[in-house]
Amino acid sequence: MAENGRLVALDPTSGPLERRDDRTFRSHPASLDGQVIALVANGLGQGEPFLAALYQELEGQVELAGAVRVLKTSVSVPPEPADWARITSEASVAITGFGG
Amino acid sequence: MLNAERHAYDHHDALQEDYADRGWTDGLPVVAPTPAKVEAFLDAAGLKAGEVLGEVPTREVVVTAEHAAINAVMAGCKQEYMPVVAAAVRAHLHEKANCHSTTGTLCGAAQVVVVNGPVRKEIEIACEGACFGPGFRANATIGRALRLVIRNVCRAIPDFLDRASFSSPLRYSFCFGENEEGSPWLPMHVERGFAPDQSTVTVHSIMHFVSAIDFTARTPEAVLDTILATLRRYGVFSDRFLGDGQNVMLVVGPEHMRFFAEEGWSKDDMRGYLWPKIQKTGAGERPIMLGQPEGMLITAAGGPGMAETWLLIPHLAWAITEPIS
Repeated sequence: MAENGRLVALDPTSGPLERRDDRTFRSHPASLDGQVIALVANGLGQGEPFLAALYQELEGQVELAGAVRVLKTSVSVPPEPADWARITSEASVAITGFGG
Repeated sequence: MLNAERHAYDHHDALQEDYADRGWTDGLPVVAPTPAKVEAFLDAAGLKAGEVLGEVPTREVVVTAEHAAINAVMAGCKQEYMPVVAAAVRAHLHEKANCHSTTGTLCGAAQVVVVNGPVRKEIEIACEGACFGPGFRANATIGRALRLVIRNVCRAIPDFLDRASFSSPLRYSFCFGENEEGSPWLPMHVERGFAPDQSTVTVHSIMHFVSAIDFTARTPEAVLDTILATLRRYGVFSDRFLGDGQNVMLVVGPEHMRFFAEEGWSKDDMRGYLWPKIQKTGAGERPIMLGQPEGMLITAAGGPGMAETWLLIPHLAWAITEPIS
């Protein structure tokens, strides 16, 4: 379709990719000292023991305030709402991982 | 009433460059989605612009008929393909088709669109020789339209929500029809509960695309043993979300099909032979996690010459069949 001699075409997307204004990434903490770490494993391979070992390694380096361990109930979908609630209410830092 | 934002260009080349720069293409040139063309596509399918075809809740995306039509125009579809594209988008956005996982996965799963019923002949969907490859407008553009919707509307963009390590050339387009006329079997859509004269699309997200090739097998059992041995090398995986609904698709070429036809084997006979073997996973073998024999979808396609059956091995998703209206 030409409008004023110009070719007019439509945007094929569902909108801009920018993050929503009401949800932004929290800035990375300067240190893990005193942080509660959420360990979110997706259930593949050795992801869960890997995260446990990673936590143990971190514990040897800094004073962590605890862990929130989440193992997804299904590999292919996000954590359950209750798990999200635990992560956001109890943890201050989250580490996600997968294994194959 | 179209809702999409409009962009004006002095000439067609400027549009091509701008759409590419904005990341709105698969890297290939596109047809300009003018409002007139998009409206014609919607009319051809009897769809209103705002009609919702599906959603991706984890991405807060709602896919409308207008979105699908814009991307179908861009893919190079004819307007009479639009009902097939709309059905394919609906199928892909079924909850158990698992759009978020299958289009974001590291493994680069691709979406296959299999067409059944009279529409194959009406719009010339290739079902026989070379049907997986280029050279057939309906196959090429319908598969591409779905992928453009996945990219542009569902936001599966490399390094954004598409996290594929390698991705797959099948993601440009993968669409074919079942060769119903060349097969002694019930078509796949009839096995799934649709009338023979109801056209359908079946969309599945596949992780591996593998040929089970065997020139020496001369019996149904021998062909199926080769298929099973090939399938075992990859396995079929499922998870709690998918339950017992996981599928794997076998696309049987005519050189293998004739051994089944000569012995009068139906698709159910094939499943009956494979099912007990599938359930016995030996040491060191990969599991084939199907909840029921019907999880094996069997189609006929391809041309003569190569004695092979292609295995469309799934990612974590059901194969969803939708009627074309």
